[in-house]
Amino acid sequence: MLGFSHSFYSNFLFWITRKRWLIFTFVISLLLFYIPSPTTLTPEGHRTLIIVVIALILIIGEVIPLPAVAILILILEVIFGIDTPNGVAASFMSDAVFFIMGSLMLAVAIVSQGLDKRLALGIIRMTGNKTWRIVFGFVAISAILSSFIGEHTVAAMMLPVALTLIRNTSKDQKTVHRLAMLLLFSIAYGCAMGSIGTPSGGGRNVIMIGYISEFELGNISYLKWMKYAYPMLILEIPLAVIILWSTFRPEQTILDSAVRKLKVDVTKTGKMTGNQILAIAIFIAVFFGWVFLSPVLGLGIIALIGVFLYLSFGLIEWKDINRNTNWGVIILFGAAISLGIQMKETGAAEWVANLAITGLGSVVQNVDVLHWFISVFLTGVLTNFLSNAATVAVLGPIILDLGGNPIILGISASIASAFSYLTIVASPTCMIIHSSGLVKSSDYLKAGWKLFVMSLLVLFIISRFYWVLLS
Amino acid sequence: MKFLIAIGSKKYSGPTLEVGMRVANAFNAEVTIVYVGEKISAFSTSEVLMAQENLRNWKLDRQGVDVLEWAFDFLVQNEYVSLDSSADGFNVEKLVQTDDDRCEIFLEGIKTQEVGLILRNGDIIQQLREEVKRGQFDVTIIGGSQKRRTSHDLIQYIDSSIFVVKNYQPDRQYKMLLAVNDAPNTRKAVKYGVRVAQAFDLYTTAVTVSSTADFRGNYKKASAWADKFLRRSGVENEIRLEHGKFIETLSTIAGDNHIIVMGSSTKSPLVKFFTGSKPIKVMEDCKCPVLIVKE
Repeated sequence: MLGFSHSFYSNFLFWITRKRWLIFTFVISLLLFYIPSPTTLTPEGHRTLIIVVIALILIIGEVIPLPAVAILILILEVIFGIDTPNGVAASFMSDAVFFIMGSLMLAVAIVSQGLDKRLALGIIRMTGNKTWRIVFGFVAISAILSSFIGEHTVAAMMLPVALTLIRNTSKDQKTVHRLAMLLLFSIAYGCAMGSIGTPSGGGRNVIMIGYISEFELGNISYLKWMKYAYPMLILEIPLAVIILWSTFRPEQTILDSAVRKLKVDVTKTGKMTGNQILAIAIFIAVFFGWVFLSPVLGLGIIALIGVFLYLSFGLIEWKDINRNTNWGVIILFGAAISLGIQMKETGAAEWVANLAITGLGSVVQNVDVLHWFISVFLTGVLTNFLSNAATVAVLGPIILDLGGNPIILGISASIASAFSYLTIVASPTCMIIHSSGLVKSSDYLKAGWKLFVMSLLVLFIISRFYWVLLS
Repeated sequence: MKFLIAIGSKKYSGPTLEVGMRVANAFNAEVTIVYVGEKISAFSTSEVLMAQENLRNWKLDRQGVDVLEWAFDFLVQNEYVSLDSSADGFNVEKLVQTDDDRCEIFLEGIKTQEVGLILRNGDIIQQLREEVKRGQFDVTIIGGSQKRRTSHDLIQYIDSSIFVVKNYQPDRQYKMLLAVNDAPNTRKAVKYGVRVAQAFDLYTTAVTVSSTADFRGNYKKASAWADKFLRRSGVENEIRLEHGKFIETLSTIAGDNHIIVMGSSTKSPLVKFFTGSKPIKVMEDCKCPVLIVKE
């Protein structure tokens, strides 16, 4: 048929079946392109929204590599006449992208120091051998650490501690299945909750701070963010422990021999090395830099200074950073932020925000609470299917145009993007615990929906009754 | 020859591994065993790899390594790999990451030429397709799937012969059912079938199914050639000429105690995609192991 070989047809059909979302995206974008622009929307805004639709489908479907999505966004921004090549390039690179790049590199540097064994010893010394105390320790330590050094770094360090405890409790993992889920979800959800605590907890916080500053809606310093978000983190820790415990009641309430074996394993590592002390000192310096110098130097540059110091002192090799850094994600976030800026500049964000408000009808228009609820709920749901930073990058400009206090709406949306409790793909921490093979995708919903509702309620109470006092 | 055996879990893959290794042994083939784990989101690939590297420092295994270790133990117990490779037990340090979603370990074989163990992550059809292309495998052996679409995708997209070990019971007495017609792949299918029949010492039925009572000359010739080849190879057999619907007839004769061997369809992949093919339907409808032999 048409002179093509069977192999050609087979490859072609395979490509079609695997890339059906790409074809769907192409068809949808063509349709949207030829629909006349609404009178209240500029042609540039119309085309920007087409790119948003394309990007969302391609990112959720993962039909082409993430860097390819990023490149496509940049190409379309120029081809659709939304901005000049130099304008697109300028919007692509920002302090937020530097921060995401720097924090991913810092994560590699910190994980490679072997500090996880110290961490294990510290947790066990604090908690003892009672399971509920260990769970509390896991949630609290994961949350507090991830508020400073990024959630996936902590998850990567905590995972072996949990797996060792599970293995030490029973060789047959079926007999400790609920214990395994309890410990692993304590890490994943602890890390997710913790990532809201400071700007450096997650790239999305920095993206939101960047938008608020870029759109001249205000300035949020490192400490100001902490004043807003940290109390919520502290409140959530005991609530999460109660939810996790009641959902996954463990087979064993005391892990006596498992803890003893872990202590023996860990104490074999000897005293802390000079490199480990230096690594901690550099990170503390970076933290103080974020707190005191970020208004001048920016969060991203300070993160990069940290990376520079780790590399200069030989604490990590470039090839290790190069191998373990997700460059595709960095490029994608740069493109997503560029798209977010174009949404604001072309009026697309405002148009979508107005459409949403009008669509809600006259009853809702003047009720700030409902604007708040919609932005938080939408962000919380989307973050479970998309990356949380990409969610904030795309939704951020729209949410900031919804009306009401942009600082409260912005920080709320950024915090809601950490409610990634429901799916495996919601965040790298969820994927990391799933990679242990001990939790199934359906397990994420068991406690996830309860944590989602709890977090929404806590955020509502905090934003209505505590943030008002701050402003 | 090169065989690829795809295993899924310790619980369900025992029969696949057992049959796969016996068949590979019959062909004196180089064997690779592959475990395909779940897909890792592109947003988390580096982070998961970093976490898995960290697990190694704690002497903890990543997901799927336990399945490979179980496969390794099976190979040692049944003397498929040499003592050199098995002396220290399964050594996870020898598992080499060759790609973001692939790592491998090679063992020196005794009965077979060489045995490789591969760990992959992602969509099963895509991963098997890539592995077959990479290793130039002749036969892919896999357990039966509950999803009908999987049978279709295996035959449509995997560029090797496919042996689906469906409903295999080790304690059942199996026979072989060879589907013979005038299609170009039939001769190769009969040759493969003979090797399998010899390995398992199976009584073989070579059946030719015609839709009408009048058998075409080529059908009779094909049947006669199969009869001659089976007798020459010393395989105890019977020849049957049946008329009726191909799938129903084959399914009725096969029941659940035959291993069906047949050639792949020569239809264009486009036609197969929209209308299906006899091998796809046999694989979907029959309740026994099926070997589809490709050119």
